[in-house]
Amino acid sequence: MSDPGAALELNGIRKAFGPVTALDGARLTVRAGELHALLGENGAGKSTLVAIAAGLLRADAGEVRRDGALLPAADARAARRAGIALLPQHDLLVEAATVADNLALLDPAAPPFESAGARRARVARLEERLGLELGPPGARVGELPVGVRQRIAVAGILQADPGVLVLDEPTAVLSPRETSALFRSLRARVATGRAVLLITHRLAEVFEGADRLTLLSRGRTLLEAEVSSTTPEAVGALLLGGAEVSSRSGALRPDPPDGERVPALAVDELLPAGATGPPASLAVPAGAALTLLAVDGNGADLVGSAIAGVRPARGRIRLSGRPVPPGDPRAFRAAGGAFIPADRRAEGLVPGLSLAENLFLRRPPGRFVIDRAALAAAADDRLRRFGVRARGPWAKAGELSGGNQQKLLLARELEPLPRLLVAVHPTRGLDLASSSDVRARLLDAARAGAGVLVVTADPEEALELGAPIRVVYRGALSPPLAATTPLAELGRRMAGLAP
Amino acid sequence: MRPAAVAAVAAGTLAAAALLVLAAGASPADAFVALLRGALGSSAALGETLARSTGLVLTALGAVVAFRAGVLNIGLEGQFLAGAAAAAAAGPLFPDAPLAARAAVLLAAPLAGALQAAPAAWLAERRQVPAVLSTILLNLVAAAGVTWLVRGPLRDPSGDYPQSRALAEAALLPPLAAGSRATAAVLLALLLAAAAAFVLARTPIGLALRAVGEAPRAARAAGLPDVRLRVGAFLSSGALAGLAGGLEVLALTGRLYDPFTAGVGYTGIAAALLGGMSTIGGAASALLFAALGAGSSALQRDAGVPSSLASIVPALAVLALLLARGERRER
Repeated sequence: MSDPGAALELNGIRKAFGPVTALDGARLTVRAGELHALLGENGAGKSTLVAIAAGLLRADAGEVRRDGALLPAADARAARRAGIALLPQHDLLVEAATVADNLALLDPAAPPFESAGARRARVARLEERLGLELGPPGARVGELPVGVRQRIAVAGILQADPGVLVLDEPTAVLSPRETSALFRSLRARVATGRAVLLITHRLAEVFEGADRLTLLSRGRTLLEAEVSSTTPEAVGALLLGGAEVSSRSGALRPDPPDGERVPALAVDELLPAGATGPPASLAVPAGAALTLLAVDGNGADLVGSAIAGVRPARGRIRLSGRPVPPGDPRAFRAAGGAFIPADRRAEGLVPGLSLAENLFLRRPPGRFVIDRAALAAAADDRLRRFGVRARGPWAKAGELSGGNQQKLLLARELEPLPRLLVAVHPTRGLDLASSSDVRARLLDAARAGAGVLVVTADPEEALELGAPIRVVYRGALSPPLAATTPLAELGRRMAGLAP
Repeated sequence: MRPAAVAAVAAGTLAAAALLVLAAGASPADAFVALLRGALGSSAALGETLARSTGLVLTALGAVVAFRAGVLNIGLEGQFLAGAAAAAAAGPLFPDAPLAARAAVLLAAPLAGALQAAPAAWLAERRQVPAVLSTILLNLVAAAGVTWLVRGPLRDPSGDYPQSRALAEAALLPPLAAGSRATAAVLLALLLAAAAAFVLARTPIGLALRAVGEAPRAARAAGLPDVRLRVGAFLSSGALAGLAGGLEVLALTGRLYDPFTAGVGYTGIAAALLGGMSTIGGAASALLFAALGAGSSALQRDAGVPSSLASIVPALAVLALLLARGERRER
């Protein structure tokens, strides 16, 4: 049963959260000296499986072995002593502490007393060694953008030099250049006989950098294979398996509609609070889309949330010619704005409320008393049309998987059709099927007449959207680039290099 | 919570209480019977329970309304005192017009409770001062204010004790039945509980309030008037506690003295917690706590158990609940 070369082995893992079965006998084998990719749709159980491997969760059944030896269940300290280190998707860093202090906390070799200078030196050393920009050593982590935090977490966990390094979607917020730097350092690790397990949604990364892959689907292991023995198309088909892929695709008109129409969005000298770069000016015509492409930490997401009013800012914002005071989400909404935030769980949905209540937060049917029958019917209709998979309109929003949460949010924000939709990282953390569905709906909204502003860190997504692209580097916007710009050029611009 | 968990909480509480009774040298069965008789055994006992429940139901309601909107109002005690003081000041202004006196109390008391909460609401929204801190401090201000009022401006010149002038006998609410201390105040409290439950669950404003309480950033981003909703909930919460204080004067005491409350505002929060932060649950817990309070004097008289033991039971129940609800460290 046991694989002699296995550095980490999970067998027959089952785990249920209340009525929801997350894992149903999943299996995973990571050999010493390999970079192993773990794939699967949203809600397939990937994060749950690695949390069990790292001793953070107790499996209902099954075993975890490290170099053939059984690990005690749900014992995070034992797992760490055995050299299993997990970089979770969220929640590794202390937000109130500085970059230097966080890295010191994650350094097992850090002396108990250490000067501030030595801590700063550690930051510089790690930046040098890993080729990742870690932000100002004295900055509080909570004030840094999510992409920078991710880089700090990666750097922090690599200090322990774990025998089995587990990374839960580390590249979602990295630039192409940083992603390849990360992969270089991961390849160097596996060359020395250590093992790396990587959760990712990006097939290209898997086929460029990984040795073997495991594909989970609905809590079961669907495929274990050498990367060289399969193809991206075959794996992609398995990943999409069963999921409805939207048939509506196709690019937008390359140029904005003719005529001197008032743009859906005109932003003049906008400086969001917390942004360091120059003020941003941009416009989105009605019936068209614009993509802001940037590595996290360059202020593109700040521009998006400032336009939606959730982040204070200075400058002028007009929706269809109507001035909207910055920092006022209600005024933004009243002028016909809609918003998909980057953090859908904190800023988008109310997890404890039902799907129906989330869909009709502002204007539930009924004037003084909510008409529950009408609410359920309207919600049912929308959930069906937007392809949200759920128990029904009274299920709690927090129960949904990431992809379904995002579809729920779209169902709320796209009906009635807004004049302007601002979508920040709309497909982050979503699987292939959900991502293509979300992109298709964004483009549909533009085709129906809305202005659509998308902020993304994924150059391939920017190209796929087919709308003009403006790359943001340290707050400065590039001129609009055609959606036919080569990927390499986008990558260079994102990294601040000359095109 | 699942019924099994509720049963476990009840069983745990009863077992712990039985041990305390044993430690006091009495029989748990006798004590239980005495408690039950003292709380529900006669029209007078039932009246006592209902009379005590008015303030608890309303303060529990105040806690639920605030907490559900994300406002941690620990100042119900002070808001209760403000309402009672306003009642004691406004009621005697109409010695010959009982109806006017009642109307003045019913208007002034909630208003005073809301005013007592207002500084904390302002500090929370404008200066990011945590409401937990400001309301606790305002409770001390309110208690000191009562001490001053009954010795100063409101002092009854004809009395020996530092207390306010009494409302006219005719202005006080009459008992629902002869020999009972229960008045229409308890009916008003229960009516308000039902109304609050309906508003929270079934109206657009209740939905908005719950959204703001649970995910303030999401509610704000969705365009809900978050500040207005939180301030509104805070002031309503204060008004409910203020009304409780006013009704205490109007239904039971007829005047203000010092100290005026034995922690009804804090017990109301405990009732809201035990009721799972639901209006109906909070009101039911408040009734339970009131019954315990009413039964406690019989406990002393009939079973020889110190009556203070009964006041431990609500605390035990809340602790047992928190224990049952607290999840194991594994997530």
